[in-house]
Amino acid sequence: MEMITAALLGNPNVGKTTLFNYLTGSNQYVGNWAGVTVERKEGFIEDRIKIVDLPGIYAMDTYSNEEKVSKEFLEKGGVDVIVNIVDASSLSRNLYLTLQLKQFNKPIVLVLNMIDVAKTKGMKIDYQKLSKKLGVTVIPISASKGIGIEEVKKLLKSGNFFSLYNENDYQYVEDEKENYKYIEEVLAESMIYEGDKRATIGERIDSIVLNKFLAYPLFVFILYIIFKFTFSWVGQPLSDAMDSVIITKIVSLLDILLQNSSSWFRSLIIDGIVAGVGSVLVFLPIILTLFLGISFLEDSGYMARAAFIMDRIMRKMGLSGKAFIPLIIGFGCSVPGIMSARTLESDKDRKLTALLVPLMSCNARLPVYALFATVFFPGNETFITFSLYLLGIGMAFLIGILFKNTIFRKDEEPFIIELPEYKLPEFKSLIRSTWEKGKGFLKKAGTIIFAMSVIIWFLSNFNFSGMVDMGNSFLAYIGGAMAPIFKPLGFGTWQSSVALLTGLMAKEVVVSTMGVVYGVELQKILLQHFTSIAAYSYLVFILLYTPCISVVAVMRKEFGNRMMIFSVLYQLFLAWVVSFIVYNIGNLVFG
Amino acid sequence: MCLYDLKPGQQAYIHSVCGDAKLAKRLLALGCIEGTPVKVKMAAPFGDPIIINFRGFDLAIRKKDARNIYIKEA
Repeated sequence: MEMITAALLGNPNVGKTTLFNYLTGSNQYVGNWAGVTVERKEGFIEDRIKIVDLPGIYAMDTYSNEEKVSKEFLEKGGVDVIVNIVDASSLSRNLYLTLQLKQFNKPIVLVLNMIDVAKTKGMKIDYQKLSKKLGVTVIPISASKGIGIEEVKKLLKSGNFFSLYNENDYQYVEDEKENYKYIEEVLAESMIYEGDKRATIGERIDSIVLNKFLAYPLFVFILYIIFKFTFSWVGQPLSDAMDSVIITKIVSLLDILLQNSSSWFRSLIIDGIVAGVGSVLVFLPIILTLFLGISFLEDSGYMARAAFIMDRIMRKMGLSGKAFIPLIIGFGCSVPGIMSARTLESDKDRKLTALLVPLMSCNARLPVYALFATVFFPGNETFITFSLYLLGIGMAFLIGILFKNTIFRKDEEPFIIELPEYKLPEFKSLIRSTWEKGKGFLKKAGTIIFAMSVIIWFLSNFNFSGMVDMGNSFLAYIGGAMAPIFKPLGFGTWQSSVALLTGLMAKEVVVSTMGVVYGVELQKILLQHFTSIAAYSYLVFILLYTPCISVVAVMRKEFGNRMMIFSVLYQLFLAWVVSFIVYNIGNLVFG
Repeated sequence: MCLYDLKPGQQAYIHSVCGDAKLAKRLLALGCIEGTPVKVKMAAPFGDPIIINFRGFDLAIRKKDARNIYIKEA
């Protein structure tokens, strides 16, 4: 039997993902549509029906990437049936998309979701009349309660939708007013509206959450809880546990297993691959827990409110309020920060945000600040560290304004966000979306990190005469060759350059590399190699230069090669320029 | 008169939408068309953006865009 292709479409926030998950179970695949950062999800019912989950859209013709992708798929994707899910409690707006979908001359199954909500809002819908008027099959469901989904499945399996082929006589016209007039006519005959009796719970929550005085403190508090959850209650402890398992258990196990193999091989496996891939793997619990929190905010309806209250500030950078969340996450780790940029509406917002996220000083940079601040600025450690965080924020602001007025000037997206009704997120879909993000990170990022680990290991352990210690390795040569570039910034030694190179693995590796190249008396020796101003300049460079390979890998996975290269180069350039300014002004003022 | 002039809690009817073509198209697609009842619900803490409600859902828009939505009084 031939495979039936069903396209799943609907407005945002109408329960499309929930329905998709119910229909396909775990039988689904996530990817990207070619050329754009729009997620492509596919699932199957018994290997007979393929369901393609198209992005949530309000219309087909308002020029967004999501709409282009959907339109192209409906035209060329060999679609047999359109499953159009709508919010029964907000029918007039939802049916606008339905009218546009009818243009494609495919059978449509209209899934009326949230019939329970519609009922409490005082709406009585005559499903048969609605079906007859629109010439589509209508199935009432409540996805969150699991009601009616079997009927959708049954209908798709039976294939009976083919009989209801474009039977209504309404001719779609390119005029919103006419179309809405028609929708209102349809609804006048098929729906009785008894009026909303009481202020909804949502309105009461909004009056607190969006209150003039409470909105920002509450927002900060919610972020604080998510960070606590990630970095002290759940994610970090899990990461530390994984770290100790990898470091102690696996390494010691491998040590025994590889006892008889040659030393270079043992070093490649343990110091190269396990250390490199392991240092990235331990990110996974952090990423998963952080995303669990973010998904919760997203599904509950709060995220749209956060975007609403942050819009005024973010607008100055040419971004909408929603972009604030990825930037904040960036303080924890740039990887989930960049990944969460995909929740933004426009391609331009996603790209600009992803470019700015690494400027937020992530956790991994903290050990470097800590080391240098204690050595060079005793008593002022907090101030020095804080100043670097502020510098990162300031730079993000400046670069945001710069990019907004240069490379991202054209593609200005208008700002409108629907504030969906609050709801309690479903556990199952939370877990699913969290795991999907984690899986994507593991798969795609894993490969490039594996390759990079091997390369860096090789460079730091070999020269033309074979295996040597780091001081004589290729890496030391490269560091030496690079050193003059950093001379104007105050740190032109091969050791500091090498540390920057290995810092590409993960920024905290800068510290361990310095430990290796300078030896155990690290703190004393550092004082001989850096002046205080040079040390600060070095920290500025660490803050701003090319992020670690996990970030680079994620950038490539989400946005492709060009964005990855651009992000690497612009940050290198920015780091050099700012460090140069800091070093020279510092010398003028304090020197 | 435009939506910009309404205070939170006030109601009116949409007359027309102009300004940025993309934004206008999106608002029209959402059903922000002539004769639709619209209400300004509240403003963000610093007064901008604002939340408006029509056809039973809440929408956040910027004040500068609210200038481009003309209204007829209730």
